[in-house]
Amino acid sequence: MKKLLLIPILILYLSAQEIDFNVAPDFNLIDIDGNTVYLDSLLETGPVFISFWALWCTMCIKELDAIRPYYDELDSIGVNFLAISEDKMRSVPQVKPFARSKKWQYTVLLDPENMMRDLYNVRTMPTSFIIEQNKNIIFIHQGYKPGDEEIIVNKLYELVMKEFGHESEE
Amino acid sequence: MNLKNSPLLLIIPLFFIAAADIRISGSNHAEYWVFVDKELDTSNYKEHLEDKLKLSVNYGDITLKGVLFLWSPSLSVQEKLNYLDYAAIYSKDAVNILYGTYYTTFGRGLALNAFLDEDFRIDNSLYGVKVDFKYLGSQLTLLSGEPRCIFFEENKYKIKNEEHTSDQIRGINFNTKLIPKTTLGSRYVRINQTTDLTPKAFTELFGGDIDFTIGPFDAYFEYARQWGSDDVIGGRVRGDGILFTTSFATPGLGISCQFMDYNDIGFGNPGYRYNEPPTPIKSGISVNRGLDEVGYGVSFIVSPLDFLTLELDHNKISTHDETVNKFKEIATISDNMDGVLEHVAKMTIYTTYDLEINGGVERVLKQGIELPIEKKIETKPNIELTYNFGSFFIETGYEHNFISSDTSDYYDHAAFFSIGKPELFVFTLRYERRNRIPEWLVEKYGDETAWPLAELSLDLTHRHNLRIRVGAEKGGLICSGGVCRFEEPLRGVKAVLTSIF
Repeated sequence: MKKLLLIPILILYLSAQEIDFNVAPDFNLIDIDGNTVYLDSLLETGPVFISFWALWCTMCIKELDAIRPYYDELDSIGVNFLAISEDKMRSVPQVKPFARSKKWQYTVLLDPENMMRDLYNVRTMPTSFIIEQNKNIIFIHQGYKPGDEEIIVNKLYELVMKEFGHESEE
Repeated sequence: MNLKNSPLLLIIPLFFIAAADIRISGSNHAEYWVFVDKELDTSNYKEHLEDKLKLSVNYGDITLKGVLFLWSPSLSVQEKLNYLDYAAIYSKDAVNILYGTYYTTFGRGLALNAFLDEDFRIDNSLYGVKVDFKYLGSQLTLLSGEPRCIFFEENKYKIKNEEHTSDQIRGINFNTKLIPKTTLGSRYVRINQTTDLTPKAFTELFGGDIDFTIGPFDAYFEYARQWGSDDVIGGRVRGDGILFTTSFATPGLGISCQFMDYNDIGFGNPGYRYNEPPTPIKSGISVNRGLDEVGYGVSFIVSPLDFLTLELDHNKISTHDETVNKFKEIATISDNMDGVLEHVAKMTIYTTYDLEINGGVERVLKQGIELPIEKKIETKPNIELTYNFGSFFIETGYEHNFISSDTSDYYDHAAFFSIGKPELFVFTLRYERRNRIPEWLVEKYGDETAWPLAELSLDLTHRHNLRIRVGAEKGGLICSGGVCRFEEPLRGVKAVLTSIF
């Protein structure tokens, strides 16, 4: 049992080394239309918003519904939206009809083996991430409550304004 | 801790050498319960403490993952479960090599399904080697591993396949997209068991699939066959299974249909399967997990107007019955069958930006599923309202559950009220009552007729959430992906702290 204590000790030690804990892990996944989506390619065009959802997760669906009205404007200024379905293989056939019926314009990705959930250490559904173009995760949000969408959208606007301002200065 | 866990502890320190390029992420999930056990008097309490720490360390093309799990119940339970899982992964260009604990599904799970469902508390993993090779739209997977299935039931974590954790599973899976709009897959899985009584101490599961997509239309067909050994009575078992799904999806409309017919394709013991064929039932119920099942499902979702979404589902699964014709066998549940027939109708209305109304009715018929009850019909109308005001929101709802079982009719009804502020807290009060208790329920769930519950969810920071629940939970049959368990009724306190870093 004493060996088990090594893990938290290592975490503390590594924390002390000022290592960046906030870099988004790379991934590529298949979307509901069969296309392969690469995180790196998306980041070349703008920041990325990722929301983990599932058919059984009512709050996840509410979050994605609530963000939908802001999609067009944020998409036009370069924000990429990814809705990663954590539904198991048995539910995959229902994901595309469901997403289409909801009129979501997000890129809906399939992760039936939950590798992404593991990669991004998602413990609560929904959990959403905002990744800036230099790959830093600047915002993590767990759960959904009505009104959370405004906080997420404001963060995205802030980020786009910051990056736009930065480019202008250059 | 056994020897297989030691490499992680040896390898991690090597990463200090090049600390500047290391990327670390992780999460922690801690739960503490104090509750009254139904067999004890109210002055005696049981405890449940569990913690799951996940850590991922990435350096260049190499990733190390570790999962430390600790479960420490009250001494009266006299059981505990601690384990340290790890995986070392090398990933570069077309190749991915993994050594350690992993999860994988071949096709839709008819031949092999090793999966993790943390919400349902089932951890069906393999320990060994997995190699993936991707080239020109094709993927080849080779694997070898030993299975371990951890399952939570009766408030205890158990290794369901305790006598089979040394079984060997070897598999190969190949998928290709070389033909436009079409994906083809084929697979072979061999399971070697030492407990088999016959000289042929192995089982083979093999099959293939085709997935065809054109515009809004998608169709998938999978076939699998088992040439197996029966580890209970010895001898060979032969079985097969088919799964067909199709969907049509355009903005505002989604239709999906599925059909499955399984004859001895489910392989494993009663509490554990190496494969886990899909069930059409939304609530996740299966009859006997791929041994003898036939079923179908139709789902229709439409958003005719921006403020309205309608959802209709009609799903059925049952055992076979050779005394009726094929159509009746697929479409209905005869007296000779065990099965589930499910109808769901849901409607969501967004009246204004600030008000959302959800309502629906769910009707589920279960025959031979919740023994000792032979037949049970539940009809559940429900309504929920969500209203935003300023920076707060309130949510309230009511559901009624009319239950008709063999010899008795009764009903449960529940109301809840929540208030919350985004990114800060949600406070929920829920009260559920049962009008009377049939005798068969008392033995299983006790004689409670009221379940009051309060829950506070606090976002301590963006990365830390604390949930405290005080009161009573009714318990009952809950299912996910065909795996079911009876959730024990619980009266007490639960605290859950979730962190990501």
